[in-house]
Amino acid sequence: MSHPKLASLFNQNEARVDWHDKALWFVRHKRDLATHQVKGWEALRDLGHHIKAHTLSNLDNYLIEFEKNALENGIQVHWAANGDEHNKIVHQILEENQAKKIVKSKSMLTEECHLNPFLEAKAIEVIDTDLGERIVQLAKEPPSHIVLPAIHKNRHEVDALFQEHLNTQPCDGDPQYLTHEARKHLREKFIKADAAITGVNFAIAETGGFVVCTNEGNADMGAHIAPVHIACMGIEKLIPKQEHLGVFLRLLARSATGQPITTYSSHFKRPAKGHKMHIVIVDNGRSEQLGRPDFRASLHCIRCGACMNTCPIYRRSGGHSYDATIPGPIGSILSPGKDLTKHSSLPFASTLCGSCSDVCPVKIDIHSQLYKWRQIITQNTKQPFIKKKSMVFMGKLFTKPTQFARIGKIARWSLRYLPKSIINARPNIWGKSRDLPNGPKQSFDEWYKERTKK
Amino acid sequence: MGSRTEILAKIKTNKPNLIETPIIEPQVFDEGLNLIEEFTKKVEAVGGQVVPITYEMDIHTEIKTLFPDTALNFSTLEKAISFNTLSLDNIEKPQELEDLDVLVLESPLGVAENGAVWVNDTSFPIRVLPFITKHLVLVLGKNDIVPYMHQAYDTLNDFNFGVFISGPSKTADIEQSLVIGAHGALSLTILLKND
Repeated sequence: MSHPKLASLFNQNEARVDWHDKALWFVRHKRDLATHQVKGWEALRDLGHHIKAHTLSNLDNYLIEFEKNALENGIQVHWAANGDEHNKIVHQILEENQAKKIVKSKSMLTEECHLNPFLEAKAIEVIDTDLGERIVQLAKEPPSHIVLPAIHKNRHEVDALFQEHLNTQPCDGDPQYLTHEARKHLREKFIKADAAITGVNFAIAETGGFVVCTNEGNADMGAHIAPVHIACMGIEKLIPKQEHLGVFLRLLARSATGQPITTYSSHFKRPAKGHKMHIVIVDNGRSEQLGRPDFRASLHCIRCGACMNTCPIYRRSGGHSYDATIPGPIGSILSPGKDLTKHSSLPFASTLCGSCSDVCPVKIDIHSQLYKWRQIITQNTKQPFIKKKSMVFMGKLFTKPTQFARIGKIARWSLRYLPKSIINARPNIWGKSRDLPNGPKQSFDEWYKERTKK
Repeated sequence: MGSRTEILAKIKTNKPNLIETPIIEPQVFDEGLNLIEEFTKKVEAVGGQVVPITYEMDIHTEIKTLFPDTALNFSTLEKAISFNTLSLDNIEKPQELEDLDVLVLESPLGVAENGAVWVNDTSFPIRVLPFITKHLVLVLGKNDIVPYMHQAYDTLNDFNFGVFISGPSKTADIEQSLVIGAHGALSLTILLKND
């Protein structure tokens, strides 16, 4: 289904839309408070942008350097061209270690590769251990946000889910109680796990190590208890040097949740005695995106989610309406590169207001890229009849000033005098659940001319 | 291994011309922070507490007054024999640390801008310790606080595993309400040593 269709489903419950909108705006506001406290925030964003741009321009060599150092550190390194190969590699490692019970911390990459269903089909238990991810896993839903996976669920829904799956007592949605119960439930899973899977926030070429950031401590509880740790990373997670972490760790949490840093920023370099550590480096369309000059900066993304929290469309349509692993503005410039037809409605799910680009910690020109995808999509995919025709009509109209002025006059008059039933008739989608403004007496052109005369 | 060659070749073809590495100039961010004040403020903001101690005080006695009724305590500091009620010698698997109440570790580095404190596994023999314990106590010297992450990374060299910890574990995944105590420690106390 297209984004407008899925968004209209979400919009059937207006109270929920308002609540969702406010919840995300609250996070955006916290981000503002945190970033305004940092002297040189813009310089920091510039650094983030340029370090990523530099890395991408030398990515093959940095990957080779990273692999060499990781191997020297005693980490086993695997390469996967696509999601399927990634899943097979992970499964093979698990099989070699007779691992049947897996705990997994947040990793959008494994979502992208659909690792969970792949492993479950082979009778392996995969438990998502981030609380938000566990909630959506129990609800059999995908995450609706990359940092706040269950932001679309209210406390009462979580209460009901936990009663059903974790045998909790009804608690009127008390977050304290529910979180505590989740801690108990997942503690047992950590203790019994045969292997742990984590994502990677940053991999460092110069040291061969990698950093995983969480607030809950779930990545560490998994990785340090289980004898096998598999870390899955996209090729774009690489940074050249350890000192670059200073830039990115300052940017990440402030942009994501308004915290000065996540509770845990764990630096893995060598496996512990008696433990095994694997890294799976995944391409899955990224090297192709690297070859698109207009869109390669989308690979700078550090997955903070700030563009979602600020986006007027995301806040009012919900993450699931994007029907993509990464929703929101950044997802809308990443997804068309993977499947132009499936995701053809996403670059249009934007007002092009540019707020996403303004909050992006690594200065990705998200709204410009959305605009550029629109050009490509319009040329390459079938457009609705009405849209196509009206674009041709408008295009012609804009080239004829006299005609434009006349039609403008009629439109303004109609807005003033025609009854609502006609103005908001079915073909006018702008009249859906909103009233159009009263038509002004003057056009902008008339007003401007009169003003310059004075 | 087949995909390695393929991926690297594709990147080589598709990458742009080499772009220079930017130089980080930490003085751009310098705002002349009062390090101890800022550090304390940030630790408290993220849900931890800072307790100043002086040279003459016995660290473990102080911790005992903070956590009077705990059963399983472990400290990696010197003179911890009477404090420790757990011996790591008998631990075969990390799981067995599940009931640990209080863990005390020494930290070589704190960061003022975010209240983060660095610990690495040269100071604790089993990696899960600072995460699995119910209460975490970190002992930090007042002079070991740096202003920003940039200065912090200048001092970090060799470690096998290390972690910046900022406050106790937390989550806001249920309707954005902050709950302290997710999977890691339920509380974080930093003993700030006057040395």
